[in-house]
Amino acid sequence: MQSFAIHPFSTPGTVSDLRAQVRRIVSECEAGWDAADRANSWSVADPAFSARLGDEGLVGMIWPKRYGGHDRDPLERYIVLEELLAAGAPVGAHWIADRQTGPLLLRYGTEEQREKYLPGMAAGKTYACIGLSEPGAGSDLAGVKTTARKTDTGWVINGQKVWTTGAHIAHAILALVRTEPGSERQAGLSQLLVDMDTPGITVRPIINLAGQHDFNEIFFEDVEVPHGALVGGEGNGWKQVTAELALERSGPERYLSSFALLRYLIAEQGGDPAVQPLIGRLTAELWTLRQMSMSTAAKLAGGEDPAVEAAIVKDLGNSYEQDVPLAIQAVLTADFDTRSDSDLARTLSLLLQTAPSFSLRGGTREILRGIIARGLGLR
Amino acid sequence: MSENRSLLCDTATAVLREAADMHSLEEAGFATLLIAEADGGFGGDWGDVFAVLRIAGYEGSDLDIAGLILDPVAGDSMEKGAFAKVCLAAGALDRILEMAIDYVNTREQFGRPLARFQAVQQSLAILAVEAAAVNSAGAGAALALDHGDATFEIAAAKLRTNQAIGVGTAIAHQAHGAIGFTREYPLHPFTRRLNQWRTDNGNDRYWSEKLGAAVVALGTDGLWEEITRRSDRSAG
Ligand SMILES: Cc1cc2nc3c(=O)[nH]c(=O)nc-3n(C[C@H](O)[C@H](O)[C@H](O)COP(=O)(O)OP(=O)(O)OC[C@H]3O[C@@H](n4cnc5c(N)ncnc54)[C@H](O)[C@@H]3O)c2cc1C
Repeated sequence: MQSFAIHPFSTPGTVSDLRAQVRRIVSECEAGWDAADRANSWSVADPAFSARLGDEGLVGMIWPKRYGGHDRDPLERYIVLEELLAAGAPVGAHWIADRQTGPLLLRYGTEEQREKYLPGMAAGKTYACIGLSEPGAGSDLAGVKTTARKTDTGWVINGQKVWTTGAHIAHAILALVRTEPGSERQAGLSQLLVDMDTPGITVRPIINLAGQHDFNEIFFEDVEVPHGALVGGEGNGWKQVTAELALERSGPERYLSSFALLRYLIAEQGGDPAVQPLIGRLTAELWTLRQMSMSTAAKLAGGEDPAVEAAIVKDLGNSYEQDVPLAIQAVLTADFDTRSDSDLARTLSLLLQTAPSFSLRGGTREILRGIIARGLGLR
Repeated sequence: MSENRSLLCDTATAVLREAADMHSLEEAGFATLLIAEADGGFGGDWGDVFAVLRIAGYEGSDLDIAGLILDPVAGDSMEKGAFAKVCLAAGALDRILEMAIDYVNTREQFGRPLARFQAVQQSLAILAVEAAAVNSAGAGAALALDHGDATFEIAAAKLRTNQAIGVGTAIAHQAHGAIGFTREYPLHPFTRRLNQWRTDNGNDRYWSEKLGAAVVALGTDGLWEEITRRSDRSAG
């Protein structure tokens, strides 16, 4: 048997131009970027930067031109993403729209939905959020209770979503709701795309343990949307969400999101011979993860469904990114002041706090390993 | 996989299963795998070498097919040997993963197959992830070798492989219980070889010092530039 079939990543001929373009944009914009933010890059929202990337044709890259996209190759997009993440660029505002909501609309959305949302998304100006989790539905997502009742004119939504990243800046939420009254588990669920300014929606911030406002809770009270808000088939929500999650799991953000920390370690402590072996080990792991992530991207680009590979990349990437701050903390000399103002110290302190979230968001470690085990024929 | 590559793999599997001595491997022409067709060789690339050595690791052959293939080509012998160990380990880790899966699907305790227990599922998932990492590392190093200098990639791949061997062999033994601790059961030939390869051609200390120093020498922004510059060599 083969644990991981390798799909060759055919590096696009435009690769040097793309890297140069991103590196130029980064060098023009990076003056104001905070060091610690760079180690948290796809969670940091900077609308001006998102719009700049939109102007440069680097958002919605692989979408058709008629929707504001640029008809580029998925592997060209991969190159752009890894460059942005390695630089720690603040890509959080448009991230979800570009990565999953836009592609989902292209696959399942109506012509009207595509025309309404995609051009703004590709411009880096329309943001989306993911409405899956609820108080009673975390890992067990089939426990979703938020309902949408069908009326003559549309849908009426009631219920609550939670942990919704970026709901406070998003223009629309793609919500998984129960459209068939009395249905249970995976059956009777559908996806609705709802404008966040619709009356009846209340967004409340949830401040995370590091004091940041990234996620929120959302209340829906008799929120009325037209029939045209339904994305894909009525009752097809579970299948669509599963496809969406594969897009969410295998990208370079699963191992590059805190690359800045390794950079600062090299810059500030690289001269210490006791630190160099750790730099070697972390480099070896990073390089290997990149091979795995690129292979999975190539499989996805070839039209195949790499659900198990994506789970493997995310699980290993999460473990790596959680290990990096701990390993660095362990190897620093006793006189290194983690409360100091250096880039390394500030980034390390932040990541030591935020790292536990890596193996929760986007599917927990245990759920991912369950998917891998199913792929192995163990369940 | 190209048609040539899959034919090559079929031959390698058949020959390595049967071959009792080096002579039969030589007969099969493996010594010329990397020699150009123009010079009367097979004209294979490093991806072919990865595929063949991976099969050797998977089949558990003790014949030195790596030496047969690599001795005739130029290059640093420490690096060539390290690359060979990565390829062999990729196959051997896939093999012990397969053995562990078969075992927990058949062995019953508490009235059901061990595979039904979530703790067992989760630990075999880790073994699969580690095996996947080594397979990817081997393929990545092979690609770099096709483009010339691969010192960086081989160091990274061997270091990652050493890590995976430590984690992976422990899980495979744990899943097998006492039967895997017997001379009779065919797990130990694989885990013993894996452990040997972990030492051979550079242990963790050797490669992590070397790679760490090389990365630091690249300067603050040098690591990312180097990683991308090297993989972009394959741009078409
Ligand atoms: C930073 C962050 C951002 C997020 N952003 C979003 C977002 O934008 N949109 C959204 O919808 N959600 C979001 N989430 C929510 C995320 O998807 C959930 O946290 C996740 O699915 C787990 O659900 P839970 O937190 O309810 O934990 P629980 O499901 O209660 O799990 C708690 C623990 O029990 C384990 N566990 C649960 N079931 C099993 C089982 N069957 N077997 C073994 N172990 C099990 C879990 O693995 C976990 O370790 C975000 C979460 C975080 C941390």
